[in-house]
Parts: sequence; structure tokens; C-alpha cells
Amino acid sequence: MAKHVLSCTVNGEPVEVLVQPYVTLLDALREDMGLTGPKEGCGTGDCGACTVHVDGKVVASCLMLAMQARGRKIRTIEGLAAADSTLHPLQDAFVRHGVPQCGFCIPGVLMAAAALLEENPRPSEEEIRYGIAGNLCRCTGYTKMVTAISEAAEMLASQRSAR
Amino acid sequence: MSTMKTTRDVKGVGVSIPRPDGPEKVTGRVQYVADIQPKGLLHAKLLRSPHAHARIVSIDVSAAKALPGVRAVLTAKDIPHLKKKAPTRAHAVLAIDRAVFMGQPVAAVAADELSIAEEALDLIKVEYQVLPASIDPLKAMLPGAPPVADAGTEADTSEALAHSAVAIAKSAAPAKAVNISQQARLQRGDPAKGFAESDHVLEKTYRVPMVHQGYLEAHAVLAEWDRNGLLTLWASTQGSFNTRSEVADVLGIPENRIRVIPVECGGGFGGKIRALCEPITAVLAQVTKRPVRYVMTRREELQAGMPAPQVIIKLKTGVKRDGTLMALDAETVIDSGAFSGAVLAVSAVFLGSMYKWPAFDIRGFEVLTHKPSVAAYRAPVAPQTIFAIESHMEQIARDLDLDSVEFRMRHLIQEGDPMVNGQPWQSNGAKQVLARIAEHPHWKSRKQWVAAGGKNGKRRGVGLALGGWLGGLQPTGATVRLNPDGSLAVLTGQVDIAGTNISLAQIAASAYGVDTDLVRITTGDTDVAPMTGLSAGSKTIYTVGAAVLQASEDARRQTFEIAAAELEASVHDLELTDGKITVRGMPDKGITLATIGKKGNLYMSKTPPVLGKANPAFTQQAPGFAAQLARLEVDPDTGEVTIQDFVIVQDVGKAINPLGVEGQMQGGAVQSLGIALTEGLMFDDSGRLTNPSLLDYRKLTAADLPNLETIIVEVPAPAGPFGARGVGEPPIIPAPAAIANAIQNATGARLTELPLSPERIALALVNGKR
Amino acid sequence: MRRFDLVLPNTLEDCLKILAERGAQAKLVAGGTDLLPQMKNGALKPAVVVDLSGIGRVRQVQNGNGLRIGAAVTARELELSPALRGAYLAIAESAAMVGSLQVRNLATVGGNLCNAAPSADMAPPLVALEAQAVIAGPKGERRVPIADFFTGVRTTVLAPNEMLIELVVPPPGAHSGGQYLRHTPRRELDIAVVGVASQLTVADGRCTKARIALASVAPTPVRATAAERSLEGQPVTPDAIERAATLAIEAAKPISDQRGSVEFRKHLVRVLTRRTLTTALQRANA
Repeated sequence: MAKHVLSCTVNGEPVEVLVQPYVTLLDALREDMGLTGPKEGCGTGDCGACTVHVDGKVVASCLMLAMQARGRKIRTIEGLAAADSTLHPLQDAFVRHGVPQCGFCIPGVLMAAAALLEENPRPSEEEIRYGIAGNLCRCTGYTKMVTAISEAAEMLASQRSAR
Repeated sequence: MSTMKTTRDVKGVGVSIPRPDGPEKVTGRVQYVADIQPKGLLHAKLLRSPHAHARIVSIDVSAAKALPGVRAVLTAKDIPHLKKKAPTRAHAVLAIDRAVFMGQPVAAVAADELSIAEEALDLIKVEYQVLPASIDPLKAMLPGAPPVADAGTEADTSEALAHSAVAIAKSAAPAKAVNISQQARLQRGDPAKGFAESDHVLEKTYRVPMVHQGYLEAHAVLAEWDRNGLLTLWASTQGSFNTRSEVADVLGIPENRIRVIPVECGGGFGGKIRALCEPITAVLAQVTKRPVRYVMTRREELQAGMPAPQVIIKLKTGVKRDGTLMALDAETVIDSGAFSGAVLAVSAVFLGSMYKWPAFDIRGFEVLTHKPSVAAYRAPVAPQTIFAIESHMEQIARDLDLDSVEFRMRHLIQEGDPMVNGQPWQSNGAKQVLARIAEHPHWKSRKQWVAAGGKNGKRRGVGLALGGWLGGLQPTGATVRLNPDGSLAVLTGQVDIAGTNISLAQIAASAYGVDTDLVRITTGDTDVAPMTGLSAGSKTIYTVGAAVLQASEDARRQTFEIAAAELEASVHDLELTDGKITVRGMPDKGITLATIGKKGNLYMSKTPPVLGKANPAFTQQAPGFAAQLARLEVDPDTGEVTIQDFVIVQDVGKAINPLGVEGQMQGGAVQSLGIALTEGLMFDDSGRLTNPSLLDYRKLTAADLPNLETIIVEVPAPAGPFGARGVGEPPIIPAPAAIANAIQNATGARLTELPLSPERIALALVNGKR
Repeated sequence: MRRFDLVLPNTLEDCLKILAERGAQAKLVAGGTDLLPQMKNGALKPAVVVDLSGIGRVRQVQNGNGLRIGAAVTARELELSPALRGAYLAIAESAAMVGSLQVRNLATVGGNLCNAAPSADMAPPLVALEAQAVIAGPKGERRVPIADFFTGVRTTVLAPNEMLIELVVPPPGAHSGGQYLRHTPRRELDIAVVGVASQLTVADGRCTKARIALASVAPTPVRATAAERSLEGQPVTPDAIERAATLAIEAAKPISDQRGSVEFRKHLVRVLTRRTLTTALQRANA
């Protein structure tokens, strides 16, 4: 079976890789591009561990074929921190609040939270909960995540007004 | 035994320090097994039985072997040393002539790509002769039921003993009840007389289905053999030494030819203690001479993982009108699936040991069925057992118009009271925890809150429940090394699944006398670390913490002795502050830790390197209790439940790291709420799982939950490091009963079957079940 | 997933050519949210998969005299679309309930309908609003009323060389309102145990048109015609609503499965019909 050329932008960089036609975007990111941050938790879109941004929108990358990402902009957890490696306020808040336990859900949750704050900079608790409702976590019970996301929203808001 | 106290004022025990692996986790840099991609990697897939019980007549793998890209296809014939009567699930690597649960592995493939391996499975032709199956445990335990184990297979009680650490007398199974694999009976006094003298007799049956531990990372293992015939396993495991032992036993090779490297574990909760995928992956790697990786799919996890058992408890209590307890009669039936291994003793003991029953007759049965066999799930069988007893106690209080908390408190056990097996309860905080939750404003104001009613006709209810866990014990070891820069390196073999490493660092810091940021914990693999036990049983801080504490104190002693010789002073005149040991009262006469560390490694030096060591075993358990309270609203038409508030009170002895402790309390509570409200593996009459995906095996989302309030209580454990008890398991226990009690408060309906789904609630109201 | 060939047409014409040649062994993929899970569990093993993501024609929402919704419009786009307000609100509501945000950004209305699960959330509101399915094939386009589009569990009227390209929703007229409600055990990531869409059009204090469509209580979405007839021509009183809610049960032929029993599903039909009719009336009068 012939491979296809996948041309897209990943974490701000142009990428060209050869992929099998039958692999998912998740597989291509992990196996062909070395970005193992997004995880497979279920493979069927029911857990959110594979969440990445495609053209700024959160998607379950286990449900997209890799070639469906052609010409599009992909952002994974590896692209959330700044170019100089400074942690995104969400990442920083998660660390300080002791959010990650086993850590497996965290890349997906952070990508969902990042998209939420880009669309809704001042979310209520309920909006935060619905913003990450597509991400299952078995370790934390979500409470500290909600607190951390709320705090990160404040930090981003004050960063914006400081400019 | 006196409580170990903190004696030095350092940044250590009791401080909320975020886990040091946080930054690696939030950037997606932490590696799990599936992220490791060695050169030449092959991918494994297993062909699984589509029948719950069937004879394997023939297997034809020729077409699969011929598929380009396939490197190996194995059946049991290719693994001749496999025991015909597999004593444990791990030994049943591939079914030999009989499949005993739907999903049991029958053949294994290793291929260049996962897709090719999947296609290879399609090409394997298996001829089955379907046999009658035992699915319902109540039917399976009757004489004449289709047999699950071959006659004579021993009950595997090793894990039962590890978790329960309770001894109970065994008794003989009724004749010809071939599927009863464990039995127990505990009796005291004359229950019949007690019932005769009771004013209130209540009889109910409580049912909890099998539930899956729900870890987000499925079982995963990477296996590779070197040219010396040494096997390395990179495993997602809760106990590298246990994995090594089991794999050695299954493959029939010595343990010292296996190295198990515990990779970051994406959740275990008891489901990754026993070996499952490791043996077959090791064999594939051996046959292909390539690294082979096997990652279970979610579907495989749900169909063929090692879930928590189904539990059916018949409870009958006799009580006097004034609330005096008279008699308890209980029967607990635990469905263990196709292989024995449930902790029957825990259920039997807990049924009668939370409250003081003067007379009781408790019978327990472990029953085998043609379903995937069980393993531990965070406080195994305790949530199910406490669901029964705490629902029942609440119902008694309600029927007799007694205050829920006062009724419980009156009869609640305390230190020294005998459990039903005669063992005395160790020091515990059961009463303190119950008292603390009763002080919560949500409990005190419950009548007004309920009376106010919810919006749109929703009915409000408040409920609570109390549960506990005895706390496990396992021998362990730790070393503490002083570095040439004055920092400490602590080595254990303990897999960090609950954030325990930072707490161990805090213990080492406080015990030795430096700040926590000068302590680094390394989790070694089985080649380099001291022997250690499972990260399970709520015992890591209690046992490994004690080992680290003792090793740190040993290192401190050695350090002081070296300093005393250097400073020509007595050790009793020395003190350690800010990395420097000085003679008391003479601040200029001193030596830094860094200098001592350097001297221990210089060429021709006479100073030994400081290496503290401890390798303790333990005898005294430290039970941990938790109480939970729920305020909820019920939509009486659809049965939907909205939890408005949820409180967890837990006695942790000493919160070494409060931030970490809170995370355990909240995470355990949500698993408990899942058991209460939405989770259950649903098998049909043929033993087929009808909900093998996360769409229909429902774990709670962030939108289903409120903020979880945590309240830490500290009743020091006499032998715990700084008084600490284990933390992991108690919080998964009380929610099912608390929710059932709240639902009754809201609607009048007493539901005794989990999960408390909207369907069960709505139909109970429609059918007028009060 | 097992291996397959992947074709990436850039135009509808190219896509139809591929279907004409290889339709019998092919599956169309848009969002993939129903297709990929079925391919992963072996229920579907197509030799060819045809990706629709390069075809612009099927991705638009137009609001003129009525609505035209491209088959590859995502659930999230429908959820947020300003065109789906007022009388069409139930369509947006149903789209908002699909899976999770990560799924809604991929899942398409066409995929939801063509997968034709009995629980398809976007079907009942389209049935209640009397939408038409626009189907393209080798001989051009044809239209089928959406209520006739489904032929059984996971089967539709589509031939292997045809594809759904658009939905046309006629304007419901003044004073029309509707709602879609479903019952699920969780608030997100879930699937309808029962779903009900009600659409009411009123004039001079009476109901001129009532449409009630049910999901997950039959092999296909079904209209509760007896309930509809009981409302038309009458004032919509609470008693009339209750009567209709009871009559709606007649249209339901549910099975008991791992998501719900017959008894519970029939109970929910009554509850959700009552609730959606009540809200539909409020919206129609607004």
C-alpha cells in the first residue's frame, strides 16, 4: 500500500511526512512525527486523551484520518508552552495546584482548557466544567483542574491588560 | 510504641509541595510504555475467544502466518511448558483446550504494523464447540452448574491475603457445588435468639455489578531479550518485583533473568498488580528476537481486563426499638469470574466489624463464573460491602426514627474492640471522622435545605456514610546516600502511582535534617532497587515511608559520627542547620554536609561514604476511615441525579503532603461516585459484555460533578512515619451508601442495586417503591 | 484499523465518479466519529475510504427561504450557527448534544443521518421540521423527505453510488417553535436513551401543525402521528399536552438493551414529549 505525503503545520512549523492512508492523525503525530504527548485512551472519541487543536478547534485526533489534516494547522501539548519554553499559565497553574497525578489525561485536558480560554476568557465554573467535559480523568476528581483553569484565566486576563 | 514525631524545623513533613514531575507531565514529556519506540519494534495482537465457555477443537494459523509483515503466530501448542490447569489468570497465557471466558486469549500475533496484526487475526481459523456457561453467580454456586475450573484447581488466595491481612477459618464447600472456590463462616453468640428478641427485623439484598478500575492508560508492556537470554520488560505496573515474580513463575525461568523497569503508570488502582499481558509479550519477543509491544485496546480492557467482582450481599438485622443491636445474619456472594482471587475475607469481616453486633452469623462464598477473572480495585470489596451495611444502618435509623449519626456513633467500633474474626481493631479515627462530618453545615442544615426543594420540582436529599480500610503491610527497603554537594539521594523500588515520591522526600528531609528540595527520590527497577512491595493497599507511606525514615535516620547517624570525629566533639554536642553541622554554642566550629559528602569519595580517603539503609517488615496495621456526605437533587420524572455538594472527611494520621492527600481524597471519591451512579460491566446471559466501550461504560465527567470539599483529620498511627496512615483506599468506599441514603431522603425510595441509575430511580418512583 | 485505500476527491463530481466505480466496497468519511469506531471494532471493513473534507460544496449553511444545510457541516457549526435560531432552534439543540466538544468539531449532520443509528440526535428535529434530504448520484440529484430516509437500523435509502449532499428545511411559518430533549445518564459524552423533538405551529390560539419525532424507540426515528393529530386544530392546553404525551407512547416500539428497558423508554417518551411540547408552545408564542 502506497504511503501518502501529509503536508501540514504542526506547532507552528511546516511538516511533510509520509503516512499510511489508514492511520489516524493521533498515530501520525505519535509514530511519524515523534509527538507522543497526545495519548490513546480509548480510540473511539470517548475519553479526550488524544485532544489536539486543528485550525484552533479541539478535536479527537483518534477519529481523524491523518490525511484529513492536510493543509491544516495542528497544535499539540508540545506546542502549548512558549517558544522559549516558558510554561503557559495553564501549565503553570496545573503544576502549582498539584493537578497531575498519573498524568495520562493531562495533555488532552490542557489542550481543551487552552481552547476554552481562547474562546471564552472569563469562563464560569460551569463553563469550565463543560469545557473539559470531553476529557475523562480517573485520578483527580477534576476539582483542582477547575481551580487551576480559573486561576490561569485570571493570569491571562491580567497579562492581556498589562500589554 | 511511641508516635514518631518531627523534631526539626525544616521544610519537610506537613507542607503542601507540588509533585516534582508536574512540569514533565504538563508538557507531555513523560513517557509511558506506548511512547517508547525502539528500533525494530513489532506490534502484538491477541485473538480472543468469542464464547464464554467452549472447547477449542482446532486452530489453523497457516493463512495468518503467510500474511506479509507477520513475524510470529502462536497458540498454546507453541508454549509447551504452560500448565494445563492454570492456577492463576496469569498462567492462562493462551487457552490450551478450553476457553473459560469471552475474551480469553487463544492465539497471539506479532507483526510489523498494528494494522497487519489485526488482519492476521481475521485469518486465524478457530473451531469451537460451545459449552453451557455459568454466568449468574447465584446459579453458578448451585450443584450441577456448568463447571468453570477443572476439578481440583486450588483457590488462589495469595492476593486475598496480601490485601485483607485478616485470617478467617475456612469451611468445607457443600457437596458438588463445583464453582464455590472459597468459603468462610464467622459466628458469635446466638443470632436466632437475638432475632427473636428484636422489635425491628430488616432483610435486604444488595447488589453491585462488576466494575472496571477505569485507568486511562490501558495495560501496556514492551518486552525484549538480549543475547544473554536476559529479558527486559518495560511495564505499566504497580509492582515491578511482583511482576518479575509472576512472569518468572509463568515462563518457568529464574527471577534473576528478568529485569522489570516500571515505566510511568497511567493509573492502576489495583488493576495493574497482577501480570496479564507480560508473559505472552515476552514469549513473542523471544520467538521473534525483536522488541515486541502489546497495548490493550479499551475494548479489550473492558471485555478481558481484571475488574472488581460482582458482589451480592443478603443482610438481615435485628434491633430493639431503642436502637440496641441484637443480631446480624449475612451472606456475601462474590463473583470472581473464571479464576479465583477475590478478597472474600474482607467482605465477610467488614460486614460485622464496623458496628458492635453481639451475635452474628456471616457466611461468605467466592463463586467462579465464565467471565473475566477479577483483581483488586482500590479497597477491594469494601465499597460494595459498606454499601450494604451503611444503607442498612441508615434504613434502621429511619425506620426507628433515630438520628443517623447518633445511632451509628453509639455502636461504632473503636480501638480494642474485636472484629468478627477476633482480631482487635487497631488505633483508628472512625469516631473522629464521623463526628467531624456531622459538624459540617451541610449536615446540620439538612432539614431546611431539603425542605426548600429544588428548581422545577426537583427533590432534594442529604445522605452520608462511613467506611474504612485496614491498611496493608509488606516488607520493603530503602537507601539514603549523601552526595558530595550536601544533597540526599534516596533509592526505593516503589512505583509512584499516588504522588508518594514527594512525600517520601519530605519524610527523608524531616528525618535527616535538610529541606525537601535537597532530596531526590529515584525509583529503581528490579536490578537496582531494594526489594519492595506493591504500590497498593494504602501502604506506601506507611511502610516505604517508614523505611525511608529509618534509612534517613541511619544516614544522619553516620553523618554525625563522621562530623564528631572531624570536629573532635561528641555527637551529642552537635547540631545540623542549613547544611552545616556545628558544635552547639560554637557556630564557627563546624563542617558542611557537602564536605562530608566529598570526603566520602576522595581517592585514598579514610572517610566512608554515608549510606543509610533500612529493610523493615511490619506487623501493625493502621486502619484509615473516611466519611462522605452528598447533597443532591433528583428529577422525579427522569430519575436524573445532580450532586450539588459533596464532602469527604478522612483520617490520614498525619498529612505528609496535604496537597497530595487532597488529590487522593478527591480522586477516590469520584471513583466511588461512579460506582454509585453510573458504572457497571453489563453481561448478558451468554456471558457477552454488552457495554465494551467508554460510551456505555460510563465514567463521570467534569460536568457531572461539583467541587469536592476535603477535610483532613489526623489521628496519629502509632507506628506510622510521623503518625501517617495510608491514604489511597478509604475515599473510594462510602459514596455508594451516601448517595443511596441521600436518594432515599429525597424520594423515599430505598434502592439496593448499583448503579443508582436514573432508570432505577425513575421506575422506583413510578412503581411506588418506598 | 485494518488497512484500506484512501481517496481524496476535490470536487463532488470526482467523488461521485469514485462511488460509481467502487461504491460497493467504499465508505465515505467526513467527521469519522461513527465510521472510525466501527472500523476499529471490526464491524465495518471497507477496502476503500473516500474523504469528503476537500469538498466545499457540502459544507455550507444558508438561510434564505428556509434553510439549506450542507451534509458535511459539523455539529459544532450547527450548534453555534446564527441561522439556526427561532423556529429552527431544535436543530441546534440536538447538534449541541452530540458526544463532546472534541467530537462535535468533527461530527457532521450528514454523517449522523447516514450512519442512521436509532439514537441519531439530529434526526428527530429534522423530521419534526419536515426537512428533505438532497441525494446526489450518477443520474443527478433527488430529494427524499427525511422521515423516509431511514429504512432500518443503520440503513438508509442511499444506493452504494449515491451520497447525501444537503438538507433542505422549509420555513415553518410564523409562530412556530420547537425543542429537542433527550435523556442520558451523563451530561456529556453520552448517547440518547430516548430523544424527542416537538415542533408546534400556532395561530389564533390553536395548533395548526404539530410534529413529534422520537429517537431510540424504534429501528428508525419515528413520528408520533396519533399524538400529532390529537393536538392539531385545538388550543394547546396542559391537558392536551398530557394527552399527546400519552399518545406518543403508541408510536414507540422500544427494545430493552444495555441503555434502557422498554418500561423506562416508554416512560421517558411521555416525560420528554410533555416537556418538549411545553417549551415548543412557549417558543411558538414568543
